[in-house]
Amino acid sequence: MAMTQQELVDMLSSLTLFADLSRPQLEQVAHKMTEESYPVGQRILRQGFTGTGFYVILDGEVAVKIDGDERAKLGKGDFFGEMSILLGEPPVADIVTLRQLHVLHLGGPELEGFLRDHPQVMFRMLKAIAMRLRNASRWRS
Amino acid sequence: MSLTTQEKAAALGRVPLFAGISDESMARLAAAAGEQDFAAGQFIVRQGQVGTGLYLVLDGMVKVVRGADELARLGPGEFFGELSVIDQQPRNASVQAAQATACLALASWDLLALLGSDPQLSLNLIRGLVARVRSAGEQHRH
Repeated sequence: MAMTQQELVDMLSSLTLFADLSRPQLEQVAHKMTEESYPVGQRILRQGFTGTGFYVILDGEVAVKIDGDERAKLGKGDFFGEMSILLGEPPVADIVTLRQLHVLHLGGPELEGFLRDHPQVMFRMLKAIAMRLRNASRWRS
Repeated sequence: MSLTTQEKAAALGRVPLFAGISDESMARLAAAAGEQDFAAGQFIVRQGQVGTGLYLVLDGMVKVVRGADELARLGPGEFFGELSVIDQQPRNASVQAAQATACLALASWDLLALLGSDPQLSLNLIRGLVARVRSAGEQHRH
Protein backbone atom coordinates (compact mmCIF):
# COMPACT_ATOMS: atom_id res chain seq x y z
CA MET A 1 0.00 0.00 0.00
CA ALA A 2 2.76 2.44 0.85
CA MET A 3 3.76 4.54 -2.12
CA THR A 4 7.15 5.91 -3.01
CA GLN A 5 7.61 9.64 -2.43
CA GLN A 6 7.52 10.09 -6.20
CA GLU A 7 4.19 8.27 -6.55
CA LEU A 8 2.70 10.18 -3.66
CA VAL A 9 3.72 13.56 -5.12
CA ASP A 10 2.26 12.53 -8.48
CA MET A 11 -1.00 11.61 -6.81
CA LEU A 12 -1.14 14.87 -4.80
CA SER A 13 -0.65 16.89 -7.97
CA SER A 14 -3.86 15.36 -9.36
CA LEU A 15 -6.01 16.52 -6.39
CA THR A 16 -7.92 19.80 -6.67
CA LEU A 17 -6.90 20.90 -3.18
CA PHE A 18 -3.22 20.86 -4.19
CA ALA A 19 -3.65 21.83 -7.85
CA ASP A 20 -1.82 25.17 -7.55
CA LEU A 21 1.30 23.84 -5.83
CA SER A 22 4.72 23.51 -7.46
CA ARG A 23 6.62 20.23 -7.34
CA PRO A 24 8.81 21.35 -4.37
CA GLN A 25 5.67 22.49 -2.50
CA LEU A 26 3.98 19.14 -3.16
CA GLU A 27 7.06 17.44 -1.75
CA GLN A 28 6.75 19.58 1.41
CA VAL A 29 3.10 18.55 1.75
CA ALA A 30 3.98 14.88 1.27
CA HIS A 31 6.68 15.25 3.92
CA LYS A 32 4.48 17.15 6.40
CA MET A 33 1.43 14.88 6.22
CA THR A 34 1.33 11.21 7.22
CA GLU A 35 -0.04 8.41 5.03
CA GLU A 36 -2.54 6.18 6.79
CA SER A 37 -4.81 3.28 5.80
CA TYR A 38 -8.08 2.18 7.37
CA PRO A 39 -10.18 -0.97 6.84
CA VAL A 40 -13.87 -0.95 5.89
CA GLY A 41 -16.28 -0.07 8.71
CA GLN A 42 -13.85 1.99 10.80
CA ARG A 43 -15.02 5.21 12.44
CA ILE A 44 -12.30 7.82 11.86
CA LEU A 45 -14.10 10.82 13.41
CA ARG A 46 -16.78 10.45 16.04
CA GLN A 47 -19.76 12.76 16.39
CA GLY A 48 -19.49 14.65 19.69
CA PHE A 49 -15.92 13.56 20.43
CA THR A 50 -12.84 15.71 20.00
CA GLY A 51 -11.47 15.48 16.48
CA THR A 52 -8.05 14.12 15.85
CA GLY A 53 -6.98 15.78 12.68
CA PHE A 54 -7.35 16.86 9.11
CA TYR A 55 -7.63 14.13 6.45
CA VAL A 56 -7.31 14.22 2.65
CA ILE A 57 -8.62 11.13 0.84
CA LEU A 58 -6.13 9.59 -1.60
CA ASP A 59 -8.20 6.51 -2.35
CA GLY A 60 -11.34 4.83 -1.02
CA GLU A 61 -14.65 6.17 0.27
CA VAL A 62 -16.21 7.30 3.55
CA ALA A 63 -19.76 8.05 4.69
CA VAL A 64 -20.64 11.21 6.63
CA LYS A 65 -23.24 10.17 9.20
CA ILE A 66 -25.23 12.36 11.57
CA ASP A 67 -27.11 10.50 14.30
CA GLY A 68 -26.65 7.33 12.27
CA ASP A 69 -28.14 8.76 9.03
CA GLU A 70 -25.85 8.89 6.02
CA ARG A 71 -25.75 12.50 4.74
CA ALA A 72 -22.96 12.35 2.17
CA LYS A 73 -20.16 10.26 0.73
CA LEU A 74 -16.62 11.50 0.26
CA GLY A 75 -14.01 10.06 -2.10
CA LYS A 76 -10.65 10.74 -3.70
CA GLY A 77 -9.58 14.37 -3.33
CA ASP A 78 -12.21 15.20 -0.71
CA PHE A 79 -11.13 16.20 2.79
CA PHE A 80 -12.62 16.16 6.29
CA GLY A 81 -11.83 17.08 9.89
CA GLU A 82 -11.05 20.74 9.19
CA MET A 83 -14.40 22.05 10.46
CA SER A 84 -14.00 20.94 14.06
CA ILE A 85 -10.32 21.93 14.13
CA LEU A 86 -10.98 25.44 12.85
CA LEU A 87 -13.99 25.98 15.11
CA GLY A 88 -12.42 24.26 18.12
CA GLU A 89 -15.56 22.14 18.52
CA PRO A 90 -16.17 18.37 18.42
CA PRO A 91 -17.21 16.86 15.05
CA VAL A 92 -20.96 17.01 14.33
CA ALA A 93 -20.79 13.85 12.22
CA ASP A 94 -19.27 10.38 12.22
CA ILE A 95 -16.88 9.59 9.38
CA VAL A 96 -17.03 5.85 8.60
CA THR A 97 -15.07 4.01 5.91
CA LEU A 98 -17.16 2.37 3.17
CA ARG A 99 -14.18 1.08 1.22
CA GLN A 100 -10.56 0.50 2.25
CA LEU A 101 -9.31 4.01 2.84
CA HIS A 102 -5.97 5.59 2.05
CA VAL A 103 -5.54 9.12 3.45
CA LEU A 104 -3.04 11.81 4.26
CA HIS A 105 -3.35 12.94 7.87
CA LEU A 106 -2.26 16.17 9.56
CA GLY A 107 -2.55 16.70 13.33
CA GLY A 108 -5.21 19.23 14.36
CA PRO A 109 -2.86 21.77 15.98
CA GLU A 110 -0.78 21.87 12.79
CA LEU A 111 -3.59 22.75 10.39
CA GLU A 112 -3.61 26.53 10.83
CA GLY A 113 0.15 26.84 10.32
CA PHE A 114 -0.04 24.50 7.34
CA LEU A 115 -2.71 26.68 5.69
CA ARG A 116 -0.75 29.87 6.38
CA ASP A 117 2.30 28.27 4.78
CA HIS A 118 0.28 27.24 1.72
CA PRO A 119 -2.17 30.06 0.88
CA GLN A 120 -3.04 28.37 -2.44
CA VAL A 121 -4.30 25.31 -0.54
CA MET A 122 -6.24 27.59 1.80
CA PHE A 123 -7.95 29.28 -1.15
CA ARG A 124 -8.89 25.92 -2.69
CA MET A 125 -10.26 24.88 0.70
CA LEU A 126 -12.20 28.15 0.92
CA LYS A 127 -13.80 27.47 -2.47
CA ALA A 128 -14.70 23.90 -1.51
CA ILE A 129 -16.31 25.08 1.73
CA ALA A 130 -18.21 27.85 -0.09
CA MET A 131 -19.58 25.15 -2.41
CA ARG A 132 -20.51 23.02 0.60
CA LEU A 133 -22.38 25.96 2.12
CA ARG A 134 -24.30 26.49 -1.11
CA ASN A 135 -25.24 22.83 -1.28
CA ALA A 136 -26.25 22.83 2.39
CA SER A 137 -28.53 25.82 1.77
CA ARG A 138 -30.04 24.34 -1.38
CA TRP A 139 -30.58 21.04 0.34
CA ARG A 140 -32.67 22.78 3.00
CA SER A 141 -34.77 24.77 0.56
CA MET B 1 -22.95 59.91 4.46
CA SER B 2 -19.45 60.43 3.23
CA LEU B 3 -16.78 58.48 5.03
CA THR B 4 -13.06 59.04 5.31
CA THR B 5 -10.70 56.10 4.82
CA GLN B 6 -10.22 55.99 8.61
CA GLU B 7 -13.98 55.80 9.18
CA LYS B 8 -14.26 53.03 6.60
CA ALA B 9 -11.44 51.14 8.34
CA ALA B 10 -13.23 51.55 11.70
CA ALA B 11 -16.47 50.16 10.25
CA LEU B 12 -14.65 47.24 8.60
CA GLY B 13 -12.71 46.56 11.82
CA ARG B 14 -15.94 45.83 13.69
CA VAL B 15 -16.74 42.93 11.32
CA PRO B 16 -15.55 39.54 12.65
CA LEU B 17 -14.55 38.60 9.12
CA PHE B 18 -11.80 41.22 9.23
CA ALA B 19 -10.67 40.73 12.84
CA GLY B 20 -6.93 40.31 13.32
CA ILE B 21 -5.88 41.17 9.78
CA SER B 22 -2.74 43.26 9.38
CA ASP B 23 -2.88 47.09 9.45
CA GLU B 24 -1.60 47.05 5.90
CA SER B 25 -4.43 44.79 4.72
CA MET B 26 -6.98 46.91 6.58
CA ALA B 27 -5.64 50.06 4.94
CA ARG B 28 -5.92 48.41 1.52
CA LEU B 29 -9.46 47.19 2.29
CA ALA B 30 -10.56 50.63 3.43
CA ALA B 31 -9.03 52.30 0.40
CA ALA B 32 -10.75 49.82 -1.93
CA ALA B 33 -14.16 49.97 -0.22
CA GLY B 34 -16.73 52.36 -1.67
CA GLU B 35 -19.83 53.70 0.01
CA GLN B 36 -23.11 53.05 -1.79
CA ASP B 37 -26.57 54.31 -0.87
CA PHE B 38 -29.78 52.48 -1.72
CA ALA B 39 -33.38 53.66 -1.58
CA ALA B 40 -36.07 51.55 0.11
CA GLY B 41 -37.09 48.74 -2.25
CA GLN B 42 -33.98 48.97 -4.41
CA PHE B 43 -32.20 45.68 -5.26
CA ILE B 44 -28.56 45.56 -4.16
CA VAL B 45 -27.79 42.13 -5.62
CA ARG B 46 -30.02 39.89 -7.67
CA GLN B 47 -30.45 36.13 -7.54
CA GLY B 48 -28.82 34.45 -10.57
CA GLN B 49 -26.16 37.10 -11.16
CA VAL B 50 -22.50 36.29 -10.69
CA GLY B 51 -21.14 38.08 -7.63
CA THR B 52 -19.30 41.31 -8.14
CA GLY B 53 -18.63 42.11 -4.52
CA LEU B 54 -19.12 41.90 -0.79
CA TYR B 55 -21.37 44.40 1.00
CA LEU B 56 -21.26 45.55 4.60
CA VAL B 57 -24.40 47.27 5.93
CA LEU B 58 -23.44 50.59 7.59
CA ASP B 59 -26.88 51.98 8.22
CA GLY B 60 -30.45 50.89 7.51
CA MET B 61 -31.76 47.37 6.87
CA VAL B 62 -31.77 44.90 3.98
CA LYS B 63 -33.83 41.79 3.34
CA VAL B 64 -32.54 38.57 1.77
CA VAL B 65 -35.17 37.11 -0.55
CA ARG B 66 -35.34 34.00 -2.71
CA GLY B 67 -38.31 34.04 -5.05
CA ALA B 68 -41.21 35.16 -2.87
CA ASP B 69 -39.61 34.03 0.40
CA GLU B 70 -37.89 36.41 2.78
CA LEU B 71 -34.97 34.45 4.26
CA ALA B 72 -33.36 36.99 6.57
CA ARG B 73 -32.95 40.64 7.50
CA LEU B 74 -29.51 42.14 7.96
CA GLY B 75 -28.68 45.37 9.74
CA PRO B 76 -25.64 47.51 10.56
CA GLY B 77 -22.42 45.47 10.94
CA GLU B 78 -23.76 42.50 8.98
CA PHE B 79 -22.47 41.56 5.54
CA PHE B 80 -23.49 39.58 2.48
CA GLY B 81 -22.21 38.59 -0.96
CA GLU B 82 -18.95 36.92 0.09
CA LEU B 83 -19.95 33.47 -1.17
CA SER B 84 -20.27 34.56 -4.79
CA VAL B 85 -16.95 36.38 -4.57
CA ILE B 86 -15.19 33.20 -3.51
CA ASP B 87 -16.69 30.67 -5.89
CA GLN B 88 -17.83 33.02 -8.69
CA GLN B 89 -21.13 31.16 -8.92
CA PRO B 90 -24.45 32.94 -9.49
CA ARG B 91 -25.97 34.42 -6.34
CA ASN B 92 -28.50 32.10 -4.74
CA ALA B 93 -30.64 34.90 -3.30
CA SER B 94 -31.46 38.55 -3.92
CA VAL B 95 -30.84 41.31 -1.41
CA GLN B 96 -33.12 44.33 -1.36
CA ALA B 97 -33.01 47.49 0.75
CA ALA B 98 -35.88 47.30 3.28
CA GLN B 99 -35.42 51.02 4.02
CA ALA B 100 -32.94 53.71 3.03
CA THR B 101 -29.64 51.86 3.47
CA ALA B 102 -25.96 52.69 3.24
CA CYS B 103 -23.41 49.95 2.49
CA LEU B 104 -19.66 49.68 2.09
CA ALA B 105 -18.98 47.68 -1.08
CA LEU B 106 -15.79 45.73 -1.80
CA ALA B 107 -15.28 44.60 -5.39
CA SER B 108 -14.55 40.91 -5.97
CA TRP B 109 -11.16 41.52 -7.54
CA ASP B 110 -10.00 43.71 -4.64
CA LEU B 111 -11.10 41.15 -2.08
CA LEU B 112 -9.56 38.23 -4.02
CA ALA B 113 -6.26 40.12 -4.32
CA LEU B 114 -6.25 40.66 -0.56
CA LEU B 115 -7.08 37.01 0.11
CA GLY B 116 -4.00 36.09 -1.89
CA SER B 117 -1.76 38.37 0.14
CA ASP B 118 -3.11 37.99 3.70
CA PRO B 119 -3.54 34.42 5.02
CA GLN B 120 -5.32 35.72 8.14
CA LEU B 121 -8.16 37.06 6.00
CA SER B 122 -8.55 33.68 4.28
CA LEU B 123 -8.53 31.89 7.64
CA ASN B 124 -11.21 34.24 8.99
CA LEU B 125 -13.33 33.61 5.92
CA ILE B 126 -12.94 29.83 6.19
CA ARG B 127 -13.92 29.95 9.88
CA GLY B 128 -16.94 32.11 9.07
CA LEU B 129 -18.09 29.79 6.28
CA VAL B 130 -17.51 26.60 8.28
CA ALA B 131 -19.59 28.00 11.14
CA ARG B 132 -22.38 28.69 8.65
CA VAL B 133 -22.17 25.20 7.11
CA ARG B 134 -22.69 23.89 10.63
CA SER B 135 -25.69 26.08 11.28
CA ALA B 136 -27.19 25.57 7.79
CA GLY B 137 -29.19 22.68 9.22
CA GLU B 138 -30.94 25.05 11.59
CA GLN B 139 -31.37 28.24 9.61
CA HIS B 140 -31.15 29.81 6.21
CA ARG B 141 -28.55 32.25 5.05
CA HIS B 142 -27.75 33.04 1.50
